[in-house]
Amino acid sequence: MKTWITIIFSGLLLSAHASAGIVEEKDCGSCHRLHPEDAEKVFTAPDLHYAGNKFQPKWLKQFLKNPEVIRPAGFITNSGFSQIANLSPHSSYTEQEANTLTDILMDLKISTLSPVTSEPLSKGLRAKIKYQFERTFGCISCHQSLNLAGKVRGGISGPSLVNAGNRLQAEWVAGWLNDPEVYMVKGRMPRYKMDPTTLSQFTRFIMTLKKENIK
Amino acid sequence: MTNRKHLLAGIILLTILTTACEQSKQATSTVRPPTKEEVTKTIPQNTQPELAQVTEGTRQTYQWYCTQCHGIKGKGDGINAKFLTVPPRNHTKAQYLETRTDEQLFQAIKFGGLSVGRAPCMPAWGETLDDDIIQSLVQYIRELCQCEAL
Repeated sequence: MKTWITIIFSGLLLSAHASAGIVEEKDCGSCHRLHPEDAEKVFTAPDLHYAGNKFQPKWLKQFLKNPEVIRPAGFITNSGFSQIANLSPHSSYTEQEANTLTDILMDLKISTLSPVTSEPLSKGLRAKIKYQFERTFGCISCHQSLNLAGKVRGGISGPSLVNAGNRLQAEWVAGWLNDPEVYMVKGRMPRYKMDPTTLSQFTRFIMTLKKENIK
Repeated sequence: MTNRKHLLAGIILLTILTTACEQSKQATSTVRPPTKEEVTKTIPQNTQPELAQVTEGTRQTYQWYCTQCHGIKGKGDGINAKFLTVPPRNHTKAQYLETRTDEQLFQAIKFGGLSVGRAPCMPAWGETLDDDIIQSLVQYIRELCQCEAL
């Protein structure tokens, strides 16, 4: 009995050690910020110290196995950001590595986000928010998204929102729109003051953007 | 008695409708472009963009935010340019910019393109940049176009 307990315990310890080591092994921290205390350092890829607040695990796992381009112009701190430099593709990982990395990344959180309503938007409200997305706030100038006909439209300096509904957590989208500085000290996106109703509707609109809706 | 009931029902209905309209007005008050009156009212009375200085901070601000659409040299060829329905303004061309006053450029930056009757692709930067830096951006645009308002 004692031997079995020792074997199981050792196995768990080894597994935990291997899990913790994969982030170092893959050198994720050389491009991504993984710790909140690294605020002074400049990283060349998106911050991941709040990955557990931001991403949906299913999408994250898939991304790690088959990376897709989210930021066609690169990350905002890249020296060639404004000139479309040749971007090196993100590394891809095996199923097992992707599972382990996803588990680790989903544990990285910096805040407890307020719950948001997941009530779907009516067709009319969706059209209204889309209008605001393009005309009132001008989001389309920097973000690719889907128009009402399901076509990809928009600028490329901001992250693509074409698949935002599968990629992001609604609570994070609302948190970002409300107070982006919690997540990024200085982004390149204008700040907006949205009333709670608009913020909720905007979040729900962004969560409707999914790549399976591309026509 | 029936008339009284109808009158009472009418008053209640009117009250509900009025309240709903007010709530609706409040809820959407921040999601439309400002009216001309609001823009005029919000601009500080002592706005004198012509006195603002272009500093290293101005150039850095332009490079950080504006280049995304207007390009690193202000030629309207930023990385978003070819994806926009209305091309971003070329800040090195005097032909159009000399027809705009400094106040109009200030308004376009602070409240967005729609506020001055131009394209909605230009978002409002008034919640991101303070008036001083917007005024210095106006002067930087004047440097780029090497022009003044006619």
